[in-house]
Amino acid sequence: MLEILLSQTVSGLVLGGLYVLIAIGLSIIFGLLGIVNFAHGAFFTLGAYFALTLVEFFGWPAILLSPIIVGGIGMVAERLLIRRLYDKEPLISLIVTFALALLIEATVRLIYGGIGQPFSPPPFMAGFLIWGPILITKYRVGVLLTTATVLLLLWLFLEKTPFGRILRAGSRDPEMVGLLGINLPKVLTWVFGLGCAISGIAGMLAAPLWTVTPAMATNAIMPAFVVVAIGGLGSFAGAVIAGLLVGVVVALTIQFWPEASGAVMYLFMALMLLLRPRGLLGERWERFE
Amino acid sequence: MAIKMKLLIPRRKALLGAAGLAAVPFAAPHVARAADPLKVGLLLAKTGQIAGQTEYLANGSMLALEQRNGTIMGQPAELVWLDEPSPQGATQNMQKLVQENKVCAVLGGALSSNALAEEAKAAELKIPFVCDNAAATDITGKNCNRYTFRLNTPVAVQSRMLAPYALKYGKRWYHITASFAFGQDILKSSRELLKAAGGTEVGVDEVPLNTADFSSFILKIRQAKPDVVVGGLSAGDLTTFLKQWNELGMKGKIPFVEIAIGDTDIWGVGPEAANGTFTKLWDAYNPNNTPEEKAFAAAYLKKYGKPAADKAWMGWITARSLFESIDAAKSTDANKIIEALEAWKVPAGNSSYSYRKFDHQMLLRNLAVSVKEKITDKYDYFDVKATLPENPADLDKVFGTQEEIGCKMS
Repeated sequence: MLEILLSQTVSGLVLGGLYVLIAIGLSIIFGLLGIVNFAHGAFFTLGAYFALTLVEFFGWPAILLSPIIVGGIGMVAERLLIRRLYDKEPLISLIVTFALALLIEATVRLIYGGIGQPFSPPPFMAGFLIWGPILITKYRVGVLLTTATVLLLLWLFLEKTPFGRILRAGSRDPEMVGLLGINLPKVLTWVFGLGCAISGIAGMLAAPLWTVTPAMATNAIMPAFVVVAIGGLGSFAGAVIAGLLVGVVVALTIQFWPEASGAVMYLFMALMLLLRPRGLLGERWERFE
Repeated sequence: MAIKMKLLIPRRKALLGAAGLAAVPFAAPHVARAADPLKVGLLLAKTGQIAGQTEYLANGSMLALEQRNGTIMGQPAELVWLDEPSPQGATQNMQKLVQENKVCAVLGGALSSNALAEEAKAAELKIPFVCDNAAATDITGKNCNRYTFRLNTPVAVQSRMLAPYALKYGKRWYHITASFAFGQDILKSSRELLKAAGGTEVGVDEVPLNTADFSSFILKIRQAKPDVVVGGLSAGDLTTFLKQWNELGMKGKIPFVEIAIGDTDIWGVGPEAANGTFTKLWDAYNPNNTPEEKAFAAAYLKKYGKPAADKAWMGWITARSLFESIDAAKSTDANKIIEALEAWKVPAGNSSYSYRKFDHQMLLRNLAVSVKEKITDKYDYFDVKATLPENPADLDKVFGTQEEIGCKMS
């Protein structure tokens, strides 16, 4: 039994790693911009489609451009659309970003068609590793390592750089940051682009594992919201812990009660919110109270 | 002031004039009707995992109309396509098609859960409904009704056709099926067949729709060490499963079989990961296709720039059966169209395509296909292993008697 539990836990950590990456961008955008970005899953989809297109035309190294392009599109979306929502009701931002998600999905469908696009892990990451009962593919190890690296870089960026400090200060008191002579709107454009780029990284990593279709955002956006809600809105560390927890809980449910594996994350969220209404590491934010 | 009044049209006359203009269509009903196209409803999902398949179903139906120069009964005709987002949404849209768009019949039903709701609504609205994709046994089984016709071979029948191929690998089966009507139907049929063959079910997983990660399920299968995995996953979920089955090194280790594969499902898997043995209704590369089917495949390739998937053929043949039946009925009256559909029959090699009168199920032979050892064409994945049943005379028997399938039409 211990072997089975170990094996499923490792599988759950890989899934959780992907959930963390999807959720962290959502969490950053909400925490710093106050926008509940329903289009986040669509940027995940764009990450996957740009990845397969870049690989097809320019080879595997070009895949690294995918999140950069997604981030760029995010910045354009912020300049044209999102920044008009900062002082509006949260419901307006939900509706507008939902419309943006539909627009992106329809555009992808128009260009690539509705059917799944074939895309496999790179040949140099084919094969798997077996340690006792644990079986994990080289590609999934790569996903875990990439996730850890992205999270570490992001943490260093937010905590140790002047730009990161401006972001954190701006998220708490934008007026004061503006009075200090800092061009906050420009900073927010970069933040939105960063959140979208991280979602693009998740899409790029998921593309060889999941079915690449215009509707693939559905599989990403709901777990992302669940993870953010469990972790605490706007909390970086909360999203990381919650993402990994959700992945492991789903994997173990598959082992013992597979029919419930689709619903278990929502039950887990309900339970967590009953015990801690602000989520695991959620704090009181004056702006949103 | 008096002069100005003379120049203006009196209000009462203006009102009369407007009323007269509004009444023109009623005064000349014949002229207006002649200009109106005959409408046929298309009820197929526009979003979600199944949208990849419905795109081809719709393309096939549209091409069938185009090949008739856009006419039915010699008058211009058009397809009105509405979404089927859920069973409830689908029935609402069917009502809209009938009551607002005034369609004379409806084609569609991509998912079994939707089609089961749609066929009940068709009976309520008394509108002919030709189901082009859903395979749940009950559609033409115990839920059958006079207004519903169905193309896809029922799950129970396809399972019977596939069982000998699964049994070739052994009698220890692992089931992984979708937790909705289609998957539950496969599980029920497959368990009965396994029991009859004296086999053992070594594991079963009912998987929620839109599962993104199958690795935990695959680990369970690996632990159970079955002789064969019998699948019942649909569309995008099957694609994801096969991709991850290969990624986790299971391809070639444990055989995988499933009924009702769609070309679009396997195209999304990719040549490296694709594997398994399946049933399907039609294959564009099958040399035994009829001349009409070959012409359809060529027209499809010319119009859309890629080969016709089996779903395109399914959209085409159901639309063709309906359009030709309306022609034969010489009327848009539902009862006359139903009678014509019951009488519709076209040759298919040494067999034929027709709807059985007592359950409105199309009788047609299925293909048993296996993924090729080496795939060189990104659209040609399958070797046709057999056409089932091998003797066309057995078709009626294979599809079951009225007593066996439990269809009682009122």
